[in-house]
Amino acid sequence: MSEQMKPEQEGNISRDASSGAAEDFVITPFPGQERFVAPLDETPLKEVDTVDEDEPATSMWADAWRTLRKNPLFIISGLLIIFILVVAIFPQLFTKLDPNYCTLESSLNPGSSGHPLGFDQQGCDIYSRVIYGTRTSVSVGILTTLIATLFGGVIGAVAGYYGRWVDALLSRITDIFFAIPLLLGAIVVLQMFRTSSSIWKVVLVLALFGWVSVARITRGSVMETKNLEFNTASTALGSSPMRNLFRHVVPNSLAPVIVIATTSLGAYIVSEATLSFLGIGLPSTVVSWGGDISTAQVLLRVHPEVLFYPSLALAITVLAFIMMGDAVKDALDPKSRTA
Amino acid sequence: MTEHDMTEHNQPAAAAQQSAEALETVLAPDKPLLEVKDLKVDFTTDTGGSVHAVRDASFNVYPGQWVAIVGESGSGKSTSAMAVLGLLPGTGHVVGGSITLEGKDISDLSRKEYEHIRGREMGLVPQDPMSNLNPVWRIGKQVEEALKANGMDVKHEKRSNLSKAFADAEVDLQKKDDELFISSKELPALLAESRQALDEAGVRNIDKKIDYFTGEWIPGSETRWRVAQDLIQAGVGQDKAWDIAKRNVTGSSIDDRISGLLAEAGLPDAATRARQYPHEFSGGMRQRALIAIGLASRPDLLIADEPTSALDVTVQKKILDHLKQLTDSLGTAVLFITHDLGLAAERAQHIVVMYKGRVVESGPSLEVLQHPQHPYTKRLVNAAPSLASQRIISATERGEDATRLMEHHLVDESGLDRSEHIITVDHLTREFKLPRTKDLFKAVDDVSFSVKRGTTLAIVGESGSGKSTVANMVLHLLDPTSGTVSYEGQDIAKFNAKELMNFRRHVQPVFQNPYGSLDPMYSIYRSIEEPLRIHRIGNDSSRRKRVAELLDLVEMPQSVMGRYPNELSGGQRQRIAIARAMALDPDVIICDEAVSALDVLVQDQVLHLLNDLQAERGLSYLFITHDLAVVRQIADEVVVMQHGKLVEHATTDEVFEHPQRQYTKDLLAAIPGGNLELGLDTE
Amino acid sequence: MGKYLLRRVLQMIPVVIGTTLLIYALVFALPGDPVKAMFGDKPVNEAVAAQIRSEYNLDKPFIVQYLLFLKNALTLDFGKTFSGQQVIDVIGRAFPVTIKLALMAFVFEAIFGVIFGIISGLKKGKWYDTVILIVSLLLISVPTFVTGFVMQFVFGVKWHILPVTAGTNPGFLDLLMPAMVLGSVSMAYIIRLTRSEIASNMNEDYVRTARAKGMTNNAVTMRHILRNSMIPVVTYLGTDIGALMGGAMISERIFNIQGVGNTLYQGILRGEGTLVVSIVTILVLIFVICNLVVDLLYAVLDPRIRYA
Repeated sequence: MSEQMKPEQEGNISRDASSGAAEDFVITPFPGQERFVAPLDETPLKEVDTVDEDEPATSMWADAWRTLRKNPLFIISGLLIIFILVVAIFPQLFTKLDPNYCTLESSLNPGSSGHPLGFDQQGCDIYSRVIYGTRTSVSVGILTTLIATLFGGVIGAVAGYYGRWVDALLSRITDIFFAIPLLLGAIVVLQMFRTSSSIWKVVLVLALFGWVSVARITRGSVMETKNLEFNTASTALGSSPMRNLFRHVVPNSLAPVIVIATTSLGAYIVSEATLSFLGIGLPSTVVSWGGDISTAQVLLRVHPEVLFYPSLALAITVLAFIMMGDAVKDALDPKSRTA
Repeated sequence: MTEHDMTEHNQPAAAAQQSAEALETVLAPDKPLLEVKDLKVDFTTDTGGSVHAVRDASFNVYPGQWVAIVGESGSGKSTSAMAVLGLLPGTGHVVGGSITLEGKDISDLSRKEYEHIRGREMGLVPQDPMSNLNPVWRIGKQVEEALKANGMDVKHEKRSNLSKAFADAEVDLQKKDDELFISSKELPALLAESRQALDEAGVRNIDKKIDYFTGEWIPGSETRWRVAQDLIQAGVGQDKAWDIAKRNVTGSSIDDRISGLLAEAGLPDAATRARQYPHEFSGGMRQRALIAIGLASRPDLLIADEPTSALDVTVQKKILDHLKQLTDSLGTAVLFITHDLGLAAERAQHIVVMYKGRVVESGPSLEVLQHPQHPYTKRLVNAAPSLASQRIISATERGEDATRLMEHHLVDESGLDRSEHIITVDHLTREFKLPRTKDLFKAVDDVSFSVKRGTTLAIVGESGSGKSTVANMVLHLLDPTSGTVSYEGQDIAKFNAKELMNFRRHVQPVFQNPYGSLDPMYSIYRSIEEPLRIHRIGNDSSRRKRVAELLDLVEMPQSVMGRYPNELSGGQRQRIAIARAMALDPDVIICDEAVSALDVLVQDQVLHLLNDLQAERGLSYLFITHDLAVVRQIADEVVVMQHGKLVEHATTDEVFEHPQRQYTKDLLAAIPGGNLELGLDTE
Repeated sequence: MGKYLLRRVLQMIPVVIGTTLLIYALVFALPGDPVKAMFGDKPVNEAVAAQIRSEYNLDKPFIVQYLLFLKNALTLDFGKTFSGQQVIDVIGRAFPVTIKLALMAFVFEAIFGVIFGIISGLKKGKWYDTVILIVSLLLISVPTFVTGFVMQFVFGVKWHILPVTAGTNPGFLDLLMPAMVLGSVSMAYIIRLTRSEIASNMNEDYVRTARAKGMTNNAVTMRHILRNSMIPVVTYLGTDIGALMGGAMISERIFNIQGVGNTLYQGILRGEGTLVVSIVTILVLIFVICNLVVDLLYAVLDPRIRYA
């Protein structure tokens, strides 16, 4: 045993190293610190590092799905969304009435047989307008989300993956769009096209100012993923940068993008309704909740129910998508559990 | 002020008696400071079940003693320590047994009662220096919190009497004013008066003595008592010495105290450092700050949870040496949690070995580790690499195999001119631009070496040595600023696309992080198959067959094919990474810290696997590691790197037995338990 | 710190130029004739149209138009409205009310958002945590204008607690309900943000270390959990001031407040491109400046940023 490194095996405090007196002490363990060896049957030795072959194999998505399935938030919002989608696709299943068939003599008539929610000021059936309005809101939400996510996702992924000047340029462009709040930007553009009656103008305008947040999140996610070792490993195996981007980086960066896409779907529906409410969104010829709320506002004091029903439908739809976003976030990002 | 009559300091008899008593309590302690008996800790799972993290664990810690708990990850060692502190994470809770600290049961204290004893009776030095300091507060503030929380921010702070007994048997401490700290304001006057007093006393070498005082008298750390003792020792008369000390040591400010604590923990320039934020500190410095925090309120027990596992070995040695000195002088007991047997053997008197939540063996540390009795301890001791360990298995046998296989290879691919060296690195240099400056930083500086066919060359160095940068350049993942890397005699920088693909096929990496190097979205099958797919080898069924073979090769069951990396342990993932690297039948494997993140037993297994593969297939390895002990087990030649430069290059035996350079010697000396031979009974 | 500030200010310049250019381009360079839009549904009088074109430099190349607009904007000359008023005067009359409204909304959302967020985050799983969560989810899902109508109906029309509309020169009580409506969605976001930040900070290693020091639960909560959780919350709040100014339009419409939002809305209805561009430009500038202030605030709160 060498001198410079003397183990203190004595059951007591060593003195200052220079004192050299440590050896004078008797080597007896303190009470309760005697040699102890556990009987083998108490802690049988297992094989080192065995694979548990009983558990079923689960990928990350399968794992997320398992978490989702158990989340009541997901079940409720999932059922709601399915219902909303069915209403949007097959409105005729829920009402036989034409939402645009309005007769002034039924103006503001209360609910009656076949017209459970009564009539609005123009004498249109409120129930059928609420049902048919679903399609407008949902399609604006879904189309905007698709376009904004695809566009923003590609811009963000390219900026994050290639970095350097590409990133610098794209990030500055993103900054410029980010500086214009969605609603203000949409107002400026839409006031130019007030005569167009297509829902596409609303979709494109919302996507024009909505892609930025997706791009920012994708960029961050890609930058984080691209530095992970499996990409380096893959390059060293002979994989090209493009292959890496599509086979490894993009699939691993998707989770936060999916979360933001689900949550913003609700936000786009709200934005569309707000624009229609302001009278610069969808034209009055398109049945939409926002438009109906807008026309009903003058009746607030006398007939609040005319305003109430489309508002309720709108709120439930948005709530369903926001709740879904929360549930997906919980499943994909265990760090941010809300419950 | 006048409390100190000279007479009071002239009672050596009483003082001696006092110190003798103090000594006695230490030498023959009848009661342990901490007594853990049949401790049971459970974690509640999401589904409402219980996981038994600690089962019937019992151990004792006596005052001033270092006790080590060793075990692998998941053995329950950290959980036991946190149970003592009452800081079990998440759903963990104590379900049985008792924890007795200084004679009182603390296992069912209320939160308030626990707050009262934490800090002042037991302190913590946590594991990860990066995450344990709050990034938004200055270091000094975080030390101050530890003082304030325990009412220690007052001027009078007692070092324990016990410590005095050891620091100097002739302790003559009577007044608590003797415990006042030097303040930075008073220090110049104190030094000036001391110089004068020394001069008057006719002492020679005054400058040297004053230099010594300047070094030792740290404001906020050293006391009036110490000043007086130092002066007396230097030759100043007792009365005069106490007079100077009394007039010039009247207590320090909280800032002095903070920097004093940081200085005690070995932080240079502590007063300035106290005003900095954690992100301005290196890992080692942060760990020192955490030690200062843990010891700030002079606890009787310090729980050190792997306090240095994130640090380089040389830094680890310095910090632990310092901690040892400090806890000895303060009389603090240390409960030392570690996975490193060498460290436990070297630092602790008593050792507790834990396995799957139970204590399997305990006793005097050297005895336990030299003569392990429980099969698990034996296994652990056998697997632990140390300086004493040798190249894994029969090197000669392997050598023969390698030559035979090499010949086989030679016949196979005739026509190629085969040199003795498969990889040659020549004057390799890599510079990086430092952010926001024009300065260049040489990560790798003029490094040359070559890897002999069928052998292992290890590059050893601490963080920042440039060893991984070398690996990345050899892998053609990073271009050198100057110099060349040659594979089979050809400069890899000059390869065209086809040649590069060929190179990639023959030179494969295994990276450090078993959690990061496999794509979590890929099943094991897809991961291992990926290189075959990239290089367009075989069809689906032949690939499936090949993956099965590869899994056999790395001793993994074929049933893992459909599994995902998150379902495997670190060691298993590393095996998969090796299988992936072997898929293309490479000649060279670059292992970048391939076993560093693994527990000893698993590390040992993987090292054996690598070694067997080399023997069977004549592989050449470039093995990047910070761990010299591992090098001894696997490498034929060693390159030591420091600050980007090659420091030493020799055969493994030469480096270990006759290191030429001081840095290599330091590295060797820093290997924990390097000079202890463990497991004497086996073989 | 000084360098960081300078860098951020310099980075702001291209963003300001870019955004104003973008807005200007959206209004004056997109297909669709802004002059025609001014006439709305009325037939276009070519003579008047030509006059307008030259007045707004629309007959010049686009980039010249933009530079002239920028030059005039710097001297606060935004041109005239249809009725001949100086745009800057119209804006000057509208802004004070909106600023008052936005500040009230800001104070409302900051106080209640942070308080409820902290309660919810620290007492996770308790019944009031669940209630706070559900309410914040509802506030986010229900569009502001619906919340506005509901509150107007309940508190104003039904119960007569607060004035139904604000009218001209509104006081504190007149603006109370509009401010709550305006701040409600942001308040809900702040609650959720605060709550999740607290939840993640509670598990940080340094919190455990702080407890190991012997600090009391209250001290650990204040100094470590809340202090660190507030960084992103303060950032969100800062960015929100700008957003509130822009979002005030809905609240102002519902409660009939003669602020910037309503002026903007009238401008849109009448198709006054100049007025719209001017107001949006100013709002965007406020938003950009708020973002800058937030960045600086962030550096104050998080020492790591200062050196990054």
